[in-house]
Amino acid sequence: MALPQSLRTSVTPPELELIASEQLIDIVPLVTMEKTAFISGAYGPLRPPAKARVPLWIAVNLKLKKKCHIVPPEWLSVEFLQDRLSRETSNPGFSQLPFQFAEISKVILDIASDDLENPDKIRTLLKDIREARQSKSREGITKLDHSELGLSGLCSMEINEIRPFFIKGMNVLTKLIRDPEHPPNLDET
Amino acid sequence: MDDDYYSIDAILAENQKIQCKFKQDIPDMGHLDGGSERDIKRDSKVQIPLWMAYVLIFSNFADFTIPGPFTTRVQNALKAEPTSVKLAGLVGAGGLWYGFGRVLLRLLDDEHGDLMSALLARTFRQRLLEVVDQAQHFAALGRASGGHSNDATQSFREGLDATERELFGLAQESSRRTKRWYESGEKGRK
Repeated sequence: MALPQSLRTSVTPPELELIASEQLIDIVPLVTMEKTAFISGAYGPLRPPAKARVPLWIAVNLKLKKKCHIVPPEWLSVEFLQDRLSRETSNPGFSQLPFQFAEISKVILDIASDDLENPDKIRTLLKDIREARQSKSREGITKLDHSELGLSGLCSMEINEIRPFFIKGMNVLTKLIRDPEHPPNLDET
Repeated sequence: MDDDYYSIDAILAENQKIQCKFKQDIPDMGHLDGGSERDIKRDSKVQIPLWMAYVLIFSNFADFTIPGPFTTRVQNALKAEPTSVKLAGLVGAGGLWYGFGRVLLRLLDDEHGDLMSALLARTFRQRLLEVVDQAQHFAALGRASGGHSNDATQSFREGLDATERELFGLAQESSRRTKRWYESGEKGRK
């Protein structure tokens, strides 16, 4: 393979961000634009001050030129995240968040923090949520099995982070277990 | 860790020697022992690399004893505290403890094989968490700083088997990459 070693194991975070940029998001445009056809579809027309629904990458582009305000998705608010954080710390499972919440929230916080209420609080909450979830996926390592792995509730960035060594670890376990159909009970003795 | 013909790890794992006890005289093969004897005598004990031992054992020329890295003493130590055993120190040349164990599985009958397989899998799983923890810890420290760590973690890292070492690298790289992304600012976008 011609790919460098570091790219073989999984997708890189910037690539995930690129993929997440296809997600649609509401903006309040400050410029007028006719309906325009892109490869992924036709977006617009933009008629201020009416809201328009465009992919994140268009929103980012316009925002950086100060030609729109981004309307943050409803989950990107202090109340919602506070609620998820308390669920995250009280329940053993992963709480439901948008699959690409890490990527989208980072992009919006980076370029459009002035469109958010209380961006610093949101940043802290996101960080707390991330840490709470990380400690759960760390516990998951001890339950690693050679044949199956449940990832319910994990989001794309988290899956991507654990992918390389989970795959390798499961591979090794498969090899170490003599008869994968009838594995011996590992918890005995 | 795989059976691929070109896998260096598989070749190295098979290069480990195990002690074989010959069941009969074998003429003209004394050079296997590296000694000056012309013949191998019955009941003589010879260290033979695993790749050659298969043939001898399966065709009933010799018996073998469980080699050093997998003796009851090591098994008990692993049972007591998996993270305190230096796997790399048990086997020479690259420290392929799991690889060696896996090749050995083929020589064992069902009962012993199951025990050995359980030992390998249990050890691997119990050490994995520590491997990943330390890898993430080191990723967080960043490339430049050496980091201070206490003796237990240091000695655990030194005792990593080659397979675990690879996992350590994977976990460290992935964690470092994700961290870099989280910390990258808005500068790149303008």
